[in-house]
This record gives sequence, structure tokens and C-alpha cells, in this order.
Amino acid sequence: MGDRILGLIIFGLAIWYGWTAGSYEASFGDPLGPAAFPQMLSVPAALLSLFLIVRPDPDPSWPEHRRLLSQAATIAVLVAYAFFLEDLGFVLATTVAVIALSRLLGAGWLKSATSGVLMAVGLFVLFDTLLGLPLPLQPSFMG
Amino acid sequence: MEILSSLADGFAIAATPTNLLFAVFGCFLGTIIGALPGIGPVNGVAILIPIAFALKLDPTTILILLSCIYYGCTYGGRIASIMLNIPGDASSIMATLDGHPMAKAGKASEALAISAVASFIGSSVATLGLTLFAPFLAKAAIYFGPSDYFALYVLAFAMISGLGGANPWKMLLAGFIGLMLSSVGLDPGTGMARYTGGSFNLYDGFDPIVAIVGLFAISEVLLYLETATHASGSLVPMGKAIPRFREMLPGLGASFRGSLVGFVSGILPGAGASQGAYMAYVIERRFSNKNNTFGKGDPRGLAAPEAGDNAAAGGALIPMLTLGIPGSGTTAVMLAMLVSLNIQPGPLLFERQPQMVWGLIASLYIANIVLLVMNIPLVGLFTRMLTMPQWILMPFIIIVSFLGVYSISHSTFDLMVMIGFGVLGYIFRKLDISLIPLVLGMLLGADMENNLRRALSISNGDFAILVQSPIAATLYSLTALILLGAFALALLKSRRERLDTTEVED
Repeated sequence: MGDRILGLIIFGLAIWYGWTAGSYEASFGDPLGPAAFPQMLSVPAALLSLFLIVRPDPDPSWPEHRRLLSQAATIAVLVAYAFFLEDLGFVLATTVAVIALSRLLGAGWLKSATSGVLMAVGLFVLFDTLLGLPLPLQPSFMG
Repeated sequence: MEILSSLADGFAIAATPTNLLFAVFGCFLGTIIGALPGIGPVNGVAILIPIAFALKLDPTTILILLSCIYYGCTYGGRIASIMLNIPGDASSIMATLDGHPMAKAGKASEALAISAVASFIGSSVATLGLTLFAPFLAKAAIYFGPSDYFALYVLAFAMISGLGGANPWKMLLAGFIGLMLSSVGLDPGTGMARYTGGSFNLYDGFDPIVAIVGLFAISEVLLYLETATHASGSLVPMGKAIPRFREMLPGLGASFRGSLVGFVSGILPGAGASQGAYMAYVIERRFSNKNNTFGKGDPRGLAAPEAGDNAAAGGALIPMLTLGIPGSGTTAVMLAMLVSLNIQPGPLLFERQPQMVWGLIASLYIANIVLLVMNIPLVGLFTRMLTMPQWILMPFIIIVSFLGVYSISHSTFDLMVMIGFGVLGYIFRKLDISLIPLVLGMLLGADMENNLRRALSISNGDFAILVQSPIAATLYSLTALILLGAFALALLKSRRERLDTTEVED
């Protein structure tokens, strides 16, 4: 089933990809132009994805609900971390992100908090101070 | 003779204090990365590439650092296999078969020593092979024109799809998706924006480095969340830390046999290190399992796959450096790094950047000795690292991935791209679709299109130029042969499986 769904999505994308390529025209440059290569790719990609729909492999074991939930939560934490990294500053954002991730991995509050603070401060010192890769230090509303 | 003088030049480069320092550091880090279950060589190298970039190290130094990490990982992978019965990475699975029984029988330190020596032999054979074969291959390939390069890239996809052992349809499809992703951004020929959706963020396309960190490291964490409770073993007691010299000797012959098998499988693109270890074990078992001791702690059953694994890892560097075709996930990631540094691997690399290639080869010799010396006395330290809990390790991997990507571009958008590729990588891995052709497609796409367009400019749009040169024609026939063989095999296999299941149903 997973194969079929993915095959369907890729099939749609390949058609859209080849279709869109048709609108790329340039009156100068090489004889092939910007449209030909994408069009050449879209046909075999669409055919191969059809194969996925017709002859799918047996489904892998998908995670049970509880784990699926923790995966979704992890992705949410990552997206939030990426969004707030600059606004909150590295140390604060990382502390919060590590605590959330450790909790998701089953560690207790105390362990998570310790690991969060240590990792945030340690990595900040390592990267910003020792290696000279600048990181945002303070929350922007304080700066 | 020419090789010897080039190698001497290489040692002069490798022995500069900076390069030597990074080589030793890489060996140490690599062993740890290899030993920790849950973070294999691909993830380790992928996470470190952006950091090495941001530090603006010299390209030769970066290549030396990453290759030493790569070699170090192949040494470290066995430690978790032997002590925990959990392979540190995919290619160390075979080392659990005889390594862990040995450790349980109280011979942990012997097992670690034997496998360290086997790793050393395997890596040395591969490095020697790299020294001898790589310049030879590179010399033969200087005569390549644009249409020949295009044909070579086509062959690369066919080889990875055909020899990878998995479903060839899925491998090919992954390759095409990678190629399609690579065309996002400004078209190099005309400057036209393609598939950017009007967003300026996408004008440079997807940075393969950012994509790779997501595909490998982030997806690894997502995969781990599923298996979280299953993978906890208990550490076998070490016994004495440093074994006697005599105890390292059994398995020497097996190591040499395993090295040869592994090396050959490493050179074949698509086969990779885990295949090398597997084949080395199977062949060694057939060769010396006279008293049915294999699987119960036979030192030869540990030495052969370990040597095979290391030899395959080294062998995989050959097609990567000489042809630009990576044989394994880790070499694909290293190829990404080279391409991002504007270094085109392939035949011309040996012509244009001999100091880099030979410096790398010389550092690998040094790395091997450092790793052997480091691994025998320090194995106690590495073993202690195995007990690091995953709730520390996994967040650490994530934060370092973010740091590296953020350090390159300081862009929130790139972080989002990384997360997106992480989810994509997770889905692909769940559905058994290899990430290697996907990465390869993203890396080679631009170059493939450029060569195609250059060839057709030469011929004024006549497609016949693509097959006119004898080199291209040969490469296409090889491609056709490999694909036909692979698809025929896959069809046969699925038919047999279908027959098997119907029999069961009956």
C-alpha cells in the first residue's frame, strides 16, 4: 500500500514536472534549451512510478500509533527549533529543544534538563568560542 | 616508479602538521562514531561535512579528515558488534556472528584484538589497491568527451541500480527523483529559474549537503524512535584490556582471504561495504568451517568479515575518485563534499589535483597505522562509550546537524529543507528505496545536463553525437547489459517468491 501511494504521488509529480518544463523557453543559448532535460527525465520517472503502483512490494511494518505520535512530535520540535533558533538565541532554543527531544526519547525531567543545559552551553562554547563559527547568543527581544 | 614518486609527494603533503593532526583526530572521532550504535559512518560524515565547510578548511585537509573518519568508522563498527551484539553500522552485522560468542566465552579482548588486526589488514590491502589501480583507471579515462561523460553517468545509475541487490526499479526511480531535484534553481545555460515556485530561496537549488544531512542523520533519528526499546543489549565484561601478541594470530589467513573478497566487492559500485563483509564471511565459512565451529566463536569467522568490511570500504574509494561513481552511502556523501568544493572527481582529478589525491592516499596509510595503534590499547575507552544512552546521543546528533547547516548559510529556510529531506529519507528507507541513487542524482544532475547540452551544441542539435564515439557506445552497451541482467534477475526472483507463497497457501 505504501508503495502504491508513493507511486501515485511520484507519478503526479513527474507529469507536473514534465508539463511545467514545456513553459521554459529561451531564444538564445544552446540548441537543447532549458526544457529538454527535465522533459527527458519526466517520462521514465512517470513510467517507473507506474511500476510501483502496479507491482508494489509487501508493506513494511509501520510504527504503531504511540510511536507515530512521538515521531510527529519530534518533527514538530525540529521545525519549532529551526524557527526560533535566531529569535531565542542558540543557548535558550537548544536547551528547550534538547529537553523536549530527551523527554520524547524517554528520559526523566531531571536528566533531560541537565543534558539540555550542558549540551547547549557546551556546543555554544565549542562552536562559537573555540571554532569561531558565530551563533546567535541572546534572544533578539533582549538584544 | 611513477607511482612511488607520486606517493612520496603525497606523504610530504600528508605529513604536514595540520594534515597529520586532522588525520589522527579523524581516526579517533571515526572510531567513536563507528562504535556508537545508531550513528554509522554515513551519518557521521554527513553531519561533519557542513562543519568542515564552515570552518573553511583546505579541501585536501577536509578530504583527509573525512576519509580518516570513514576508515575509523570501519574499525569502530566491530566494537559494538562484539561487546553488545548490536552492530555499530550495517556493515558490521557479520562481525556479531562469531565475535559476540567469543566475547561471551570470556575472550572479549582477544576478539577485539583479532578484529583490529583484521581491520588493519583489510584496510591496508584496500589502500594498496587504491594506490595501484586508481591512477591506472584515471589514465584510461582521460580521453572522455562531453557525450562520453553523459554516457558514464548513465552507466553509473545503471550500476548502482543493478548491482545494489535491492529492487532495481526502486533504485532507478530514486535516481530519477534525484536528477529531477537537481534541476531546481537557475538553469546554468540560460539563467532561467526552474521549479522555484517564484521563491528566491530556491534560486540556488537544493544544496546537496543540506539534503544529505537531512536524508541520513534526521531520518536516522526518526527511524530510531520506532525501534527505541528493542535495541538495548548488555555489555559483556572485558577481561584484561591488552591481549598478548600470540592471541592476535589466529585468523590471519582468513583476514587476507577476506580482504581480497571485500576489495573486489568494494570496487563494484553499488555493492558496497556490507556486501563485502557478507561475502567474505560466506566464502570463509565454506572454505574453513570443517568442524562446524562457525557461529560459535571461531576467530576466522570474525576476522574474515572484518577484513572484508574494511577492504570494501577502501575499495569503494576507487570508483568514487576515478569515475565519480560512489560505491556506498558514505562515498556518496564524500562525493557530495567534493562536488560542493568545486572539485569534480573523475579522470581529471588525478591530472589537475594530484597533490589532493596522493595526499589522501598517503594519509590513508598513516591512518591505518594510527588506527591499529590506537585501537588496541584504547579499546577499553571506546567500549565504555557504548554505554552512552540514546537520549543523549540522538538529541546531540540533531543539534550538531542543525549547527552545521546553520553555520554554512545562516538560513532558517535551509534548516527547513533539511527537515523536509529528513522526512523524505525516512519514507524512502521505510519503503526500502535506496538513498544512494537519490543523492547521486542530485549530485550529477547539473553536470549531466551540462554535458548533454555541450555535446548537442557541438553537433548542432543532432542526437546521434551521443552514441557516435566508441567510448560512449561501449558504455551504453554495458549499461544495457547491466540493466537487462538486473531486471531479469529481479523478475525471476519475484516470480519464485510468488510461487513460494502460493505453495504455502495451498
